[in-house]
Amino acid sequence: MMYTFYLEKDSFLHSLDPRTKIIGSLSAMVAVLLFNHPAVMTALFLLILIAGRVLGKVEIGEQLKFLKPLLPLVILTIALWPLIYRPRTLGLLFGASFALRLLTLGLITILLLATTRQRELIRGFVKLGLPYELGLTVSIGLRYIPTLYILANNIMDAQKSRGWEVEKGNILVRLRKMSAVLIPLIVASLRTAHELSIALETRAFGASKKRTFLRDIKMRRRDYVALILILLLLGTAVYLRYSLGVGYVRIYG
Amino acid sequence: MIEVRNLHFAYDGREVLKGIDFAMGRELVALVGPNGSGKTTFAKHLNGLLKPVKGKVLVDGMDTKEHTVAELSRVVGYVFQNPEHMFFEETVFDEVAFGPRNLGIEGEELRKRVEWALKAVNMKGYESRSPYSLSGGEKQRLAIACILAMKPKYLILDEPTTGLDARSERSVVNVLKSLREMGHGILLITHDMGLVLELAERVVLIHGGEKVFDGPVTDFFSLPLTNYGLSKPELLNLAEETGVGFVRTVEELVGALEVKLR
Ligand SMILES: Nc1ncnc2c1ncn2[C@@H]1O[C@H](COP(=O)(O)OP(=O)(O)OP(=O)(O)O)[C@@H](O)[C@H]1O
Ligand SMILES: [Mg+2]
Repeated sequence: MMYTFYLEKDSFLHSLDPRTKIIGSLSAMVAVLLFNHPAVMTALFLLILIAGRVLGKVEIGEQLKFLKPLLPLVILTIALWPLIYRPRTLGLLFGASFALRLLTLGLITILLLATTRQRELIRGFVKLGLPYELGLTVSIGLRYIPTLYILANNIMDAQKSRGWEVEKGNILVRLRKMSAVLIPLIVASLRTAHELSIALETRAFGASKKRTFLRDIKMRRRDYVALILILLLLGTAVYLRYSLGVGYVRIYG
Repeated sequence: MIEVRNLHFAYDGREVLKGIDFAMGRELVALVGPNGSGKTTFAKHLNGLLKPVKGKVLVDGMDTKEHTVAELSRVVGYVFQNPEHMFFEETVFDEVAFGPRNLGIEGEELRKRVEWALKAVNMKGYESRSPYSLSGGEKQRLAIACILAMKPKYLILDEPTTGLDARSERSVVNVLKSLREMGHGILLITHDMGLVLELAERVVLIHGGEKVFDGPVTDFFSLPLTNYGLSKPELLNLAEETGVGFVRTVEELVGALEVKLR
């Protein structure tokens, strides 16, 4: 079962310092947000998929499997845009491109998590200047995405057993129907969060201000090389977008 | 009749059920086995939540592969392990009404069904309470009522007494007994051998995704249970030590001992 995203592998991405990977992921996200042309979005998505396979040794199928929970949102995005935007064909195109943007952002996050252990991630956030509490919160939040996904599936099964079907009705009816899943999901998550906070406190979390770490992280040569490459790529993206006006279509007005 | 033929199932390529044959009618069958042996996975096939990779599941002749879970829910009710995973309405009444409403039942008939289901689990008078405000035993009984209101012929209960105190457990056991008297077929998943002894007419033991035993309770308790990570209830040990043989309740043991001593 998929309880965590982390995949134990011996790859280039795994060997990088968490800071490099955090900066790389953020840069990739910025790059994704710069463009909105469907063709460019498709290219970026494929590029990251391949990068994950080649540099992170995460199978394409595995990456896509992790993205599956985003499917309902993706379908909703593609379905809603043509309803709101005229002409409809263009709306559909934008819907598709926003859906791809969503998938690409998801993919970047997943690759970061699949190639970085949770404690290294926290360490990375802290070394980048984030307070420890915040670093812990962010990485716990990310850590719980798969757990939530399993929980949501379980709740959906329970409701299906009561004759509940998402497939029936128009979008509004469907959204209303989602409350049968969302409410138990929220209740269960709040409970988990509460239990987690108790667990942290019983282990004296926050008792000492100065934290020490068992394993320290270190930037190596490959990290600096990677960072230079990342910044070059980001610079190119910004140049393409703002100086050449590539890959962006005006949506409003 | 629920019929399972050569059922195979795998999660992500890992085989969890390895060719199970099974059939049940209107009887109370206990499904037992160690953690991770595949009980829940098996049970989820009976109302179509999971579809066989290989083999067939027939519910009153309906192939689960050709019917939705909603359609099957009229015949097979599945009470999930954690009742809170299904509660979302503001009142107990609406919570129980959710299932029948999904089946298209409304008005007077709906009200009758909710009333009947709440009565069956001894929860009349709880209609306007919030499901979240109930005790553990009440939540479990409400979960049963929610499924019961859909009037399924068969009921699957996944560990309905786990985590309950003795009194709440009794209240759930009594509901199970009366459901059985009403003629429901019941599949009870449990780790509690005392409960198996008290309630089951037949026992099915799953181990490592295979059915290793299927037969009457008496035969089940003469298996070397420790090999399967299970243990005999103390009551049975006591009965054996005193030379009484097989009993199901303390009363039976006492009765048999009295006869013996006379
Ligand atoms: N959604 C899932 N995805 C992948 N593997 C799963 C999933 N659900 C269960 N499994 C695995 O399948 C096997 C059987 O699990 P199952 O829940 O059916 O066992 P069980 O007999 O009900 O156990 P328990 O007594 O602990 O409830 C276990 O090894 C479990 O880890
Ligand atoms: Mg189980």
